Amino acid sequence: MAKRNFFVIPGEPVGVIAAQSIGEPGTQMVLRSFHYAGVASSIATSGLPRLVEIVDTRKKPATPFSYVYLKGKAAKDFETAEQIVKKINEVKVNDIAKRVLENFSKGTILIRLDDQKLEANELTTKAVASKIEKLIKIEAGTSEHTVIIKTHTKSAKQIRALAVQIGKLTINGIENAGRAVIKQDKATEEFYIVTNNSNILGIMTIDGVDTGRIYTNDIFEMYRVFGVEAARNTVAKELDTVLREQGINVDQRHLFILADAMTSSGAIKNVGRRGLSGEKESIFARAAYEETVKHLINAAAFGEKDDMLGVTENVLIGKQIGLGTGTVTLAIKKEDLSKISEKKAKK
Amino acid sequence: MAKKSINEKCYVYINGRILGFVKDGLAYSKEIRTARRTGVLSGEINVSYMKKLNAVHINTDNGRIRKPYVVVEGGKSKLTADILEKLRKKEIEFSYLLRHGIVEYLDAEEEENTLVVFKESDITPETTHLEVDMTSLFGFTLNTSPFPEHNNAARHAMLSNFIKQSQGLYATNFNLRFDSRSYLLFYPQNPIVSTSVYRSAKMEKHPSGQNFIVALSTYYGYNMADAVVINKGAVDRGLGRSMFYKTYSDEERRYPGGQKDVFKVPPPTAEGYLGEHAYSKLSEDGIIEPETMVDEGDVLIGKVAPPRFLEESISASGLEEKIRDDSTTLKAGEKGVIDSVVFTESTGATKVVKVRIKSLKIPEKGDKFASRQGQKGVAAYIVPPEDMPFNEQGIVPDLLLNPHSVPNRLTFGHLLEELAGKAGAVAGKMVDGTAFAEKGSARIQQFGEELEKYGFDKFGDETLYDGLTGKRFTAKIFNGIVYYNRLYHMVSNKLQVRSRGPVQILTHQPTEGKARQGGLRFGEMERDVLVGYGASLLLKERLLDQSDKASVLICKDCGNIGYYDYIKRTVVCPICGGSSMSEVEISYAFKLLLDEIKSMHIFPSIKMKE
Repeated sequence: MAKRNFFVIPGEPVGVIAAQSIGEPGTQMVLRSFHYAGVASSIATSGLPRLVEIVDTRKKPATPFSYVYLKGKAAKDFETAEQIVKKINEVKVNDIAKRVLENFSKGTILIRLDDQKLEANELTTKAVASKIEKLIKIEAGTSEHTVIIKTHTKSAKQIRALAVQIGKLTINGIENAGRAVIKQDKATEEFYIVTNNSNILGIMTIDGVDTGRIYTNDIFEMYRVFGVEAARNTVAKELDTVLREQGINVDQRHLFILADAMTSSGAIKNVGRRGLSGEKESIFARAAYEETVKHLINAAAFGEKDDMLGVTENVLIGKQIGLGTGTVTLAIKKEDLSKISEKKAKK
Repeated sequence: MAKKSINEKCYVYINGRILGFVKDGLAYSKEIRTARRTGVLSGEINVSYMKKLNAVHINTDNGRIRKPYVVVEGGKSKLTADILEKLRKKEIEFSYLLRHGIVEYLDAEEEENTLVVFKESDITPETTHLEVDMTSLFGFTLNTSPFPEHNNAARHAMLSNFIKQSQGLYATNFNLRFDSRSYLLFYPQNPIVSTSVYRSAKMEKHPSGQNFIVALSTYYGYNMADAVVINKGAVDRGLGRSMFYKTYSDEERRYPGGQKDVFKVPPPTAEGYLGEHAYSKLSEDGIIEPETMVDEGDVLIGKVAPPRFLEESISASGLEEKIRDDSTTLKAGEKGVIDSVVFTESTGATKVVKVRIKSLKIPEKGDKFASRQGQKGVAAYIVPPEDMPFNEQGIVPDLLLNPHSVPNRLTFGHLLEELAGKAGAVAGKMVDGTAFAEKGSARIQQFGEELEKYGFDKFGDETLYDGLTGKRFTAKIFNGIVYYNRLYHMVSNKLQVRSRGPVQILTHQPTEGKARQGGLRFGEMERDVLVGYGASLLLKERLLDQSDKASVLICKDCGNIGYYDYIKRTVVCPICGGSSMSEVEISYAFKLLLDEIKSMHIFPSIKMKE
């Protein structure tokens, strides 16, 4: 019996309640958007802009980051953790180059490398050259601290384009993984890594990374790597983080409803005319939201039928809605009742 | 980095257009300034040197806001004691100061080149100007309020608005004016605590408030959350009493085709005739007489107009010309006495009638009051004088302000004004409350001494007794005199109720707005609340039964809307001709939607479950 009290009453409009429970505190967020000064590593989008980002399901968050947890020795040992950081940290040609020179008459590109930076990243000039050769399949020679690339073209335009392309090549580390920083969990004294961009699939290939606990705030990346259920949990968790940061206490279950609604189709849908609201079953409900004429014309063109099962369409025509006290209807009419008793009498 | 060869020359702009170059812009701008001060150039010219752009801007165009400053040269103010004395004796005028470069007007651009000090004692060798007066920091309205330097800046914006909304003696020729709306305070007083700007602007000739005895006290629950309690005794003696004037006007318009309106009592044959009773107060010429008591629905100006469409006058069998009633009636919820009627002619040589109606506005529950300190309040209870708190001398406050109104809002000026007003009242003196004239602490001391001289507490606290029980209040209560304004937001002009009323023709939904006796919108968010609560029948009642419920016949065969043919006594579907219909209740707005869809050659069909 006690357990039953936890159940939601049949016909309870949980969606509306969830929407109001998130929406009302959301109105206060506009006025109270705090900015934390300092702590350069953790300047993540927060407050209303982040909330909008989540419900609009942007393909890439404005400030992506990932949490990389470690397993085995790395989790307890700083040195080992540091090794992993080095493997993650992305090094581009531009990062280690002192200067990039183009020789348009000879058709070569000279990349003078910075000794100190090479050393810091445990690289040699030759290693850089071979990496470039491998990545874009081009002839690259070396002469002390300089990589010489032969382009076999004399078009200045092509040489310049190539030089720019080479500058952006990733020599070391994981592409798009961003800068990695080691942090320590105060409670468990466990080391973990925070990156200011996210490529969890790349990071997961590194030994010592706990692939089961890796996390990114990029919902689509979680979806690609771990699937919808993970994406659903990420949506809920990110919503919770945003609201909690603002000192707003919204029950988890409201966020779950929203996250479930966004992911129940197996893909991630946003909240709006290109997602949840735009894909409603009812024509009238869609027309009442946005792009009224478009929906009505399409419905007419294809001879669509509206079953009048939702709330909005019933409010529109003035029928009692099928939620709350409108959930229950008579199963047997009074007239039919007499027929039944007649039948019984016959038997 | 700009190249040096360009930077060597300093651009000179006049009213934003390039005039030419000079070598040294700074020296050039100073030269112009000297020429202006010596009277060689007009005093309306402003010049500024922009260091970063290395450019001189000379402005002579109109629309610049300018402000006077005293010129300081060589570390000395040019406005010497000698000149001040001459000014005082009226040997010279203000224009003398302008002509001789003692005072000059600066615009926003030239101000960028200055270093201004507030006091003469603050002058350093770098100083270029001296502020004429500290009050020039604030605008006019704010400067009519006492002690503004003791208030929170957010309150300044509020109080400036409240002062503009106050009822008072707005013009001395009010009796000859026909403003569309005007408010006139019966017994306007000058504030005991005024300011130099208030006096020099001759505000004393048309004051807009009264000196209220204010006690900073609660009164049971009646002055919670910006409500105020007002003494009925004071109200009966004329406190805050005012007259509201409203002008209705109408014109005998001419129409193409030689037709025109006529002022007269409309005949019962006129289209839109309102019934004999409505016109009963009109005199023979069709216009109401002064001193007539009028109520809502009464006609003020009787007028007949030609029919709106030409066909109507033609089709009417020809004998009698058809006319339309176009009278002006008193709007719903209004009543009063006709104050004045004017019969005149417009510039277009048409007859014009203006009827001014007055109504007495005695302060009542719901009227808005505000002090000059950004403290507004709505009268929530007009207390009988015997129930008000009183002091040993039998003095009863006019208004009780909740003490909680002060600490959060930081309106210390309110407390200072209260103390100053009390000190001024007991001493029989007018008190000056000009901004920055003196330090606040010195003023408190001063007022305290004055009060003590007349046997009052120096902080303005007094022992009060409860008017209801006669018991002494344990705490001493701060009271004094504050200048209060009665603002023109009065319930009697705003009150509106509706249970049933007019509906819009197009949608059959209730109208919106007070002028149309409308209802309050039950919007989308309100709808969501009922959905969220699960109150499905209440929702249907609000949105259908009490709004635009329509009963329509829907064809069981084709799903189209049909009608009942009263002659054949049968239901008809105009599309399929079928005669099996069922009656369905839908919102009229939905019926309208279906009609509009049909107008686009789309056929919506309604299928019904049995």
